[in-house]
Amino acid sequence: MLSFPVMLADKVLHGTEKLDGTQIVSMTIIGLLVVFCALLILVVFLCVSGGIFKKASGGSQKAAPKKDAPKPAPAAKAPAPAAKAAVPKASAPAAPASGEDEEIIAVIMAAISAMGAAEGKQYQLRSVRQVTRGGSGRSVWAQAGVLDATRPF
Amino acid sequence: MSGVLDFFTNTLGGLWSDSGLHALFADGGWKNLIMILVSFVFMYLAIAKGFEPLLLLPISFGMLLTNLPMAGLYHPELWVLVDGHVNYGEVLKEGGLLDILYLGVKLQLYPPLIFLGIGCMTDFSPLIANPKSFLLGAAAQGGIFFTFVVAGLLGFTAAEAGSIAIIGGADGPTAIYVSTRLLTGGGAITTGNIALAAYTYMALVPIIQPPIMKALTSKKERSVKMEQLRTVSKTEKIIFPIAVTIIVSLLVPSAAPLVGMLMFGNLLKESGVAARLIDTAQNALMNIITIFLGVSVGATTKADQIINIKFGGVMLLGVIAFSLGTACGLVFGKIMYKVTGGKVNPLIGSAGVSAVPMAARISQKVGAETDPTNFLLMHAMGPNVAGVIGSAVAAGVLLSVIG
Repeated sequence: MLSFPVMLADKVLHGTEKLDGTQIVSMTIIGLLVVFCALLILVVFLCVSGGIFKKASGGSQKAAPKKDAPKPAPAAKAPAPAAKAAVPKASAPAAPASGEDEEIIAVIMAAISAMGAAEGKQYQLRSVRQVTRGGSGRSVWAQAGVLDATRPF
Repeated sequence: MSGVLDFFTNTLGGLWSDSGLHALFADGGWKNLIMILVSFVFMYLAIAKGFEPLLLLPISFGMLLTNLPMAGLYHPELWVLVDGHVNYGEVLKEGGLLDILYLGVKLQLYPPLIFLGIGCMTDFSPLIANPKSFLLGAAAQGGIFFTFVVAGLLGFTAAEAGSIAIIGGADGPTAIYVSTRLLTGGGAITTGNIALAAYTYMALVPIIQPPIMKALTSKKERSVKMEQLRTVSKTEKIIFPIAVTIIVSLLVPSAAPLVGMLMFGNLLKESGVAARLIDTAQNALMNIITIFLGVSVGATTKADQIINIKFGGVMLLGVIAFSLGTACGLVFGKIMYKVTGGKVNPLIGSAGVSAVPMAARISQKVGAETDPTNFLLMHAMGPNVAGVIGSAVAAGVLLSVIG
């Protein structure tokens, strides 16, 4: 049986010679082992370094909300005035789903009001609900982006 | 008057015997004719069908030029070893244009430089985000080593078996790099044979892979939607090429020229501070090398070196290598599907055979045929780029062992 260090030290298979069964089997096993070992080392390296970077970025992300924590409270009253600013006769504010950004709801309301004003109609935003997608979990925009990028393939 | 007539007929006769047309109809000229027709087929595939046109077109034109009798663009006899070495002085003195361009192949300059350009164009983020993809890239290299077994059993020499087996890596520059280093004895199989087979099958990836992928996977497996990959930081992207170069070069030094240049190109890209170098490496330099490599490899396909039974064997074993590589990646993908409880779509395993980015596109395409809302492209890019590194490592192993 040929050992890999020996094989690396001297080229044990001469290019012009025909191969016997032992050489073929040894070469195949050793070749696959070396490729798997080399790439396995890279997997371990990437897993370890990836874990470190995840922790580092996770720590900084956790620290970030604390700084911004006071912001949501004053913004709570924002939707109605924002919507009114766009179309004064626009209706009452929607009941926001828990966790939704109120500013985004205000923007949605403003867009709907603007659309309604063009048609001479008034709309009321009663609720904003998160849609649960069974698939990839991507947002509609992300889904559209992926579709656009992969359509040629 | 008769003197003038004699002179006239002698001159015409001389011109005829010195012409390529005469050589084409002389002894063995029919082989050249066949090769010229084959070059037309490749040109058709490149131009009309769009099969790897950037490489197939230069290769096919090189094939045409070298098989035009009496053109003297390439001389195989100059590359025969004398006392174990090529007489480079003779090549420079007597060689034609394609002999001079072939120096870059013979001295193994072009493949690493191509890898430099590929490195500049490759985004390793999917691989960094999902390191397990490396295992799929490793598994697909099974095609190389299992083909080595078949070639060895069929009676090919170690150098020939290694050169044929590397076709399974589905990586043109790597195949050329390995075969140039191994096939030095002036045997029946040449680098041109190997390159021709490798690029032919790479161009035929969309035809070869899907039936194997569908045969080895169930509809349920093909429908698996994989989780979105995490975002990779710039620091990780910068560390990756440096780490891969060090780890791979220390483990398999023979792979250092290929992996080193691939990772150097990638470091240029990810560093974000060498825009001019990236621009040159991935555009001008890459294009120049592609033209030189393609034309000079095409030039090695002289009729008498191609039209023989051994080349038929190379083509047959080439497709076996390619298919085995695809199958090995898929089987490992199925193992990962079982182990992860159905979180990995086995189709991404077939992308481990390199052939960037075509193999990944095929994974996407076959996945989307089963479920049009399934997007596997980015997931398949991980094994795909891992396959490039894997085939370079496998090439390093072959070069380390076969002398």
